[in-house]
Amino acid sequence: MLQFAQSACNLLCRCLGITFVVWFTILFVIITVPAVLEVSLGIHRFYIRTLCRVFEWATLQIELSAKQKNRQFSKPHTKGILSKSKPLSVQENMQELRSSAHSRRSEPQFDMGDVIYFCRKGVESIIDDEVTKSFSAQELESWNLLTRSIRRFPHRGLRLTLLWGLGVLIRYGILLPLRVILAVTGIFLFVILSTSVGFLPNSKFFLGEKVHLMGYRFCVKSLTAFITYHNSENRPKNGSICVANHTTPLDVIILANDRCYSLVGQVHRGLLGLIQRAMVKSSPHIWFERAEVKDRHLVAKRLCDHAADKTKQPILIFPEGTCVNNTSVMMFKKGSFEIGCTIFPVAIKYDFRFGDAYWNSSKFGLVHHLLRIMSSWALVCSVWYLPPMNREEGEDAVQFAKRVKAALAAQAGLADLTWDGGLKRTKVKDAFKEEQQRLYSEILWFKV
Amino acid sequence: MGAAPTRIGQQDPELVERTGFSPEQINNLHKRFLQLSGNKDTISRENLNDIPALAYNPIKSQIIEAFFDKRNQHDSEVGSLEEITFQQFLMVMSHFRPPTLEMTAEEKEAMRKEKLRFLFNMHDTDGDGKITLEEYRKVVEELLSSGSIEQESAKEITDAAMLEVASTNVPHMGPEDFYEGITFEHFEQILKGLEMESRMHIRFLDTATVHCGKS
Repeated sequence: MLQFAQSACNLLCRCLGITFVVWFTILFVIITVPAVLEVSLGIHRFYIRTLCRVFEWATLQIELSAKQKNRQFSKPHTKGILSKSKPLSVQENMQELRSSAHSRRSEPQFDMGDVIYFCRKGVESIIDDEVTKSFSAQELESWNLLTRSIRRFPHRGLRLTLLWGLGVLIRYGILLPLRVILAVTGIFLFVILSTSVGFLPNSKFFLGEKVHLMGYRFCVKSLTAFITYHNSENRPKNGSICVANHTTPLDVIILANDRCYSLVGQVHRGLLGLIQRAMVKSSPHIWFERAEVKDRHLVAKRLCDHAADKTKQPILIFPEGTCVNNTSVMMFKKGSFEIGCTIFPVAIKYDFRFGDAYWNSSKFGLVHHLLRIMSSWALVCSVWYLPPMNREEGEDAVQFAKRVKAALAAQAGLADLTWDGGLKRTKVKDAFKEEQQRLYSEILWFKV
Repeated sequence: MGAAPTRIGQQDPELVERTGFSPEQINNLHKRFLQLSGNKDTISRENLNDIPALAYNPIKSQIIEAFFDKRNQHDSEVGSLEEITFQQFLMVMSHFRPPTLEMTAEEKEAMRKEKLRFLFNMHDTDGDGKITLEEYRKVVEELLSSGSIEQESAKEITDAAMLEVASTNVPHMGPEDFYEGITFEHFEQILKGLEMESRMHIRFLDTATVHCGKS
């Protein structure tokens, strides 16, 4: 009896094992072969459509269950808490305030009520300000069945909870291991091929480009990233600089999937350093030692030299300097706009319904971020190539940067902010406060 | 991660009554509170100091201090807190709630008095119930630039303003008497003509609330 049970168990295990291996291999082949050969099977359209339908159904269920339980179901605000009135200057606001006081004085004097204006402005900043909003993850209007946002929907009902449970199984049991295996394979293949290409004397860069593109395609497949490229006629050409908005370190993979870029960055140690060294063997990249990064002239010179050579790949730069949550574009640092060659702006917009791509570096590290992305449904984004821009006569680097930023924000539908991305970690300079103080004292001294 | 982030308005109807905000507004303010506090239960002065837009404001420190001032909690206690909870945050915010159309004249008067009280507390930093010359001068100095010439002018302005207040409110003061400071009644008197209800409130965005069920 016992022997029979044992042999049945063995048989079962073997069957399960074989099924598992076969299935995994099929999936692996379906994904790897197109990645290597640059062929598309059209599965992703089906996947995305199915997911969209499931999300719509989920939202409907939540609304219905809220109705049944007689509760108020309010959609989370995505445009901010305060209503945006026409922005008046300090002078206009003061005039409004004073005219209501029926002041009989003819010349402007200090009024105790003046402080009300600054008081209100201060409280409004506390309630809603653009910078803090840009550095926290975007809120969605419907639920995308991810664990992260589950606490917002406590009244979801049994059916949705089951569906969510199924989603967890699929994501962590099937998608995540598959993606990790793919990523590891891809990086391994890439490092080997890139190093071997580096030993070839001629046509090194031509083959190198092919190897790089293969590596990036692997990465894209391992993230299940579905990218739509718009306006490919404006794709960056050799000998120029490409600027883009920054949401996550994976932006590089998204863009480099289409054509090769020269990357700029610090030399790292460990696995990343190994990949960097392998990359440089078959394609020109600009890696700096930590000490050199502080020397701006050296950095600028190397960038200039690279850009001046019209046969070299375009340099990819993220002028914001830090990751922003993809609802707005922050101030572009003027360094890359001073070099003086053609700029190709590229706008990247992620569809947050399928997974949050924003890397909040103060909340989690890079590995955690990658795991989050790999356990989301997919990474869906649109890339728009904008027509090239050059610095005009009489325009300085800052104005040029602003112009490029405005065009980029308009194309992707992001808010155009003048705040510095560095505010994630540092404080605002006192100069801004002094500016407001100066404006106010002018009101008192000049005839209003 | 602290209390459940959503639906705090429905869970605590007392908050709605005490502060006068709608449940929707309370939910939104709670989300903002969590954003500012880094998902903790209390906010400290550093959290508010870190808001970049607030750095533009000349009276930033006074505004931040107002949030930690016990007098703004509708208590009769004096002093300041180190950290505030969401309930205390809301109580301070309630001074800035917009007037509704259904308010009676009495309620409007009470609201006006509340807002004036908030402003008074902001000037009266030591909590003795009077705004002295030094306290008033400090506020004026914060509003103007910090150059030395402006400091002189700030002194002149403050002296002139205090003199006017004194002569208006205590007309029979002799030359030997010392005007101690502006009391709350005098403060109300000075700002009598000023229409505060519409100047000192935050304009909330009208969010689309889907009312489900029977109403």
